[in-house]
Amino acid sequence: MVAMSTRRSRNDIRGLAEPDVEAPKTARIEGDTAVFDAADLSPRQINLELRRLVYGEQIPEVTIENPGAKHSVAVGILTRCRITIDGSVGYFGATLGDGPEIHITGRVGWSVAENMMSGVTVIDKNAGSLTGAAMRGGDLVIRGHVGARTGIDQKGGTIIVGGNAGALTGFMMQRGRQIICGDAGPGMGDSMYDGAIYVGGAVASLGVDCVEAEMTPEDDELIDRKFRIYGMDRPASFRKFVCGKKLWNYDNLEPSERKLVL
Amino acid sequence: MTSPNASPNPHVLGQSSIFNPQVINDIHTKAELGRYRMRGFSMFKPIPHWDQLMFMPGTLTRFVIEGYREKCDTKTVLGARFAQKPLELDIPVYITGMSFGALSLEAKMALAKGASMAGTATCSGEGGMIPPERDLSTKWYYQVIQSRYGFNPHHLMLADAIEFFIGQGCKVGLGGHLMGQKVTEQVAEMRSLPAGIDQRSPARHPDWLGPDDLSLKIQEVREATDYQVPIQLKLGAARVYDDVRMAAKCGPDIIYLDGAEGGTGAGPHLATEETGIPLMAAIPEARRALEDVGLADEIDLVVAGGIRNGGDIAKCIALGAKAVAIGHSSLMALNCNKELPGITDYEGTLGVKAGSCYHCHTGRCPVGITTQDPELRKRLDVEQGAERVYNFLHTLTLEVQMLARACGKTDVHSLEPEDLCALTTEAAAMARVPLAGTNYVPGVTEERTLHEIKTLLEKHVANDGGGSRDV
Repeated sequence: MVAMSTRRSRNDIRGLAEPDVEAPKTARIEGDTAVFDAADLSPRQINLELRRLVYGEQIPEVTIENPGAKHSVAVGILTRCRITIDGSVGYFGATLGDGPEIHITGRVGWSVAENMMSGVTVIDKNAGSLTGAAMRGGDLVIRGHVGARTGIDQKGGTIIVGGNAGALTGFMMQRGRQIICGDAGPGMGDSMYDGAIYVGGAVASLGVDCVEAEMTPEDDELIDRKFRIYGMDRPASFRKFVCGKKLWNYDNLEPSERKLVL
Repeated sequence: MTSPNASPNPHVLGQSSIFNPQVINDIHTKAELGRYRMRGFSMFKPIPHWDQLMFMPGTLTRFVIEGYREKCDTKTVLGARFAQKPLELDIPVYITGMSFGALSLEAKMALAKGASMAGTATCSGEGGMIPPERDLSTKWYYQVIQSRYGFNPHHLMLADAIEFFIGQGCKVGLGGHLMGQKVTEQVAEMRSLPAGIDQRSPARHPDWLGPDDLSLKIQEVREATDYQVPIQLKLGAARVYDDVRMAAKCGPDIIYLDGAEGGTGAGPHLATEETGIPLMAAIPEARRALEDVGLADEIDLVVAGGIRNGGDIAKCIALGAKAVAIGHSSLMALNCNKELPGITDYEGTLGVKAGSCYHCHTGRCPVGITTQDPELRKRLDVEQGAERVYNFLHTLTLEVQMLARACGKTDVHSLEPEDLCALTTEAAAMARVPLAGTNYVPGVTEERTLHEIKTLLEKHVANDGGGSRDV
């Protein structure tokens, strides 16, 4: 009779949790650069290897080959370094970072660069929905198209889209900038609190409390500078959209809710 | 002729219990205001609550534990499923997430210090991390909330546990609220918002929509934090069985259920009254869900909502909770709703007596807890407040131990449904414990009886040659 194992399960139902994994230590290190092949590695192994190189070996330039559209790759990197991901990544790629310059040569899934604090993330092809969600700083450049709700809850930084953007771009955006070279889908800037969205193409429709504003020389200077940095072709003209500030406060207050002078 | 019941006016027929004076006043106010009404605190209307459950301690059929001499363990470990460092609490109760913004700096600091003195945890709440709170908390949850106000991966790395806020019992399905009176320059800057706005937070997360995405979001945060700390999902109690099954499949270490009795610093009165289910009904449903997906021994259950004393906590644990979080009662330990002679004037400033105040949303808290006003904040002394929070947490623990010992347990976590009975059929049906003095558990008893009848019929048919007899 086989004894029943009393050891607790170390996998979740979907097989995403990998608590007991170690860094594979398969990278080829040459001076200040390192390269490793992620084809047979899980997201956990990829991140452990990346951290080992960046934090442990102090390698400032790392290339990840064959990422295989895996999720949660290169997340939570909180130091200055340069990471090249040679291929496509899945959901939550290059998120929760503060400082790294990340170049993804393929496509990305949902929520790329989510909550990025600073640094640069450049994607050569298309990005899915929720791109740059809750981003707080740095530059996020997508040379292709993006899906819906780009820059949802954005709190800072700049998102640059070379192609078109989907529905509800800038939904509940709080601060920062978005520069969309192509067209923007319906409901753009819906319920935005602040910040600016520049659009080079057509806007299907504006969301609630999003209004057009006048472009200033400073706006043009900013766009020119960003396009120079990333070597992008600038559309001939941009329109600027901002918050109408009609939703900032309730229209009426009860007596006990009157404003205090703070 | 005088009225036989001494009514002041014998010609008055009576008054509607549906359109009572409060309801009529509410309609008048809304007709002026043109929007839903906001308030703080928790549910006003009566619902089945912990008062309707009782313990059945040991007598001759159970061996009791000496109340003042024999040990009754209270250590509580949460999130040992995947985390390298599970959260270890000295007591089975901790302080739930309440934001800096909703609460003053002094309140956050006093709660943190009091909790640390009691060997338990606090939680950041919505508005991001404030360093003094983190410094004073020996165990600290960092909240990943829909708005991501002030969310910072550096702060994420400082957490002892991470809570994904998906909903709260007081206003299930809604985002947070912070009225403009409390959105000072400092609060606004922490949240990247314009100062003075009436802030209505998102109800959905910005970077995931459904449970499939949430699984990946959990994977992302585990990768970022290197599997060091537990991941907890906080749900408002609604469709508990299905929600907990889904939550469990997303791979958390802990699930936190917040009952409809839970409080808020600001929310629509209607949502507070009309959303969610009582915690007493939620816990058995959550246990059933975890058992059905085979994860009852792996995922810990934390619960909260309207907890007032050690009796409520002991009942939660008996029904299946590993730990209990408190919010509003910890604010009461800080002096919420207490008239301070010579200092406060509840009626004069807010129009309600101390003990009936629900004006947290106004930012005019007379005792300096739910306010950002510098003058009002001076009324809360951090050291004294921390001492009272510690005393309250300590007392709660003593009360839980007292009931556990009386029920014959040497560990508070050994309390079980079998220790409880209900005073009403509603409570018996929701908590799935017998009505006092009977073996009757509404729903469960009928199901068992039907099962017995079905089994007997099957045997009868089988004995009768497979039911092929002509009729």
